Amino acid sequence: MGDYRSKFAMVETMMNRRIPQMICFAFGAALFTVFFLSHPLAKDLNLTITVDYWQIIFAFTLIVGVVSFVRITIKNIKKGEDRPYRIVSLIGLIAMPVLALIWGIRGDSPFMWVFEYVQVPMQSTVFALLAFFVASASFRGFRARSAPAAVLLIAALLTLLSRSSLEGILPVYFSDFADWIRSNPSMAARRAILIGIGLGSLTTSLRVLLGIERTWLGGEK
Amino acid sequence: MSATRSQPVFETRHLIFLSLFLIILVTMLIGYNPEIKVTSETQKVYDYIDSLPSGSVLIVSFDHEASSLPEIKPIALTVLRHAFSKDIKLIGTALLAEGTGVGYRLITETAKEYNKEYGQDFVYLGFKPQYIAAILSMGESIPDTYPEDYLDKPYFSNEMLKDIINYDDVAGVISIADGSLTTHWIEYGASRYNVNITAAVTAAMMTTYDPYIASNQLYAMFGGLRGAAEYEKLIDRGGAGKRGMLAQSVSHIYVIILIIIGNIMYFVQRKRRRGSK
Repeated sequence: MGDYRSKFAMVETMMNRRIPQMICFAFGAALFTVFFLSHPLAKDLNLTITVDYWQIIFAFTLIVGVVSFVRITIKNIKKGEDRPYRIVSLIGLIAMPVLALIWGIRGDSPFMWVFEYVQVPMQSTVFALLAFFVASASFRGFRARSAPAAVLLIAALLTLLSRSSLEGILPVYFSDFADWIRSNPSMAARRAILIGIGLGSLTTSLRVLLGIERTWLGGEK
Repeated sequence: MSATRSQPVFETRHLIFLSLFLIILVTMLIGYNPEIKVTSETQKVYDYIDSLPSGSVLIVSFDHEASSLPEIKPIALTVLRHAFSKDIKLIGTALLAEGTGVGYRLITETAKEYNKEYGQDFVYLGFKPQYIAAILSMGESIPDTYPEDYLDKPYFSNEMLKDIINYDDVAGVISIADGSLTTHWIEYGASRYNVNITAAVTAAMMTTYDPYIASNQLYAMFGGLRGAAEYEKLIDRGGAGKRGMLAQSVSHIYVIILIIIGNIMYFVQRKRRRGSK
């Protein structure tokens, strides 16, 4: 009985962890190699993977997203949480593909009409509302509570002024100083972030490929 | 008598919202004509497109969402108008689904202004999912990536695409973006295939690309309503950039005033609190 259990545990580990890890390593190493090789065969393989296979994977991720959204929305409709909004979002989710399938998505199709006259104005409106919230937040939250906060505040004010059409009203050194902030301290911070992201991505990828990072398999066992 | 005080009809934030709305409305109605000084970064993009010989081919990629259209549209229009006025042939693509329809409409409407013909002077290839895959795959073969254009016509049935196989056959790529998609053009298009990348982006994204400009990985960049207004001045054609710049400028000044008032109130209250201790 004990022997059977240990064999079962071994097979389970093999199926749940080892095989996915091996597939991950094989594909990761192959894609990495193919990306940097200039041999015609490698280029063809790279093209097949990037054009065909990634698109198929993308389609499946869409299915997962849509199914998950529908399930959660229906569950919440049943519960009565934000029912009208969720019904509208569900109708939208169903209506757009139906419109696209019947009349297509080109030119003056109903799909494009809904996109241009419903989705675009709605999204632009929500985005534009940010201006009002920023105005309110700037009054209530943007305080020079400490020396670093004061530096940040002055930098923000100068940048705001430099991005306004105040030529001829403000002295030239205002915009020169704002440009200096953008090209020096701001860029230094941005570079640090970019280098950090790059190194982080590299180490995470290596950890996943080498099987050190295994949380994607469903947690450490 | 109730112990709790009733909420006022108008809170401070409501007044702030209303004031901002009124200030923008009045400014737009007055129609003040601000003086726009062209910055070197916008001038560089202009000079780049201006220096291309007639008949050159540029890829214009609409890498944005619908939400940023009020800012992106003036930016895109200036680039398209300048390119068409210089008889540059354009290939339109989109790496975000939402940019597809918007890009098609912008490119076809601008083409009409300059009597440009589809297939001869411009082509719209449309959306390709998975932007990194699309950029890499276009570097190998654009016709394999887009066997058909946006109008379902075979790739090579378009006269201007007959000799366009990959990035080697185009003068460069202009990415019109409201997010970080231009980064992928730089990291995969420029670094692997040496294609010249230019960015036309929203104001909020400009500092993101500054390091790439400094390292020459990104050839040139302009952006925001200010960039659009500057470009409109360069091509001597008014548009939504200049109009929007006006609204943006007054709202900036309004925000600056609010920050100053907020800080004065904060320091006065802090002084009072310290005085009462």
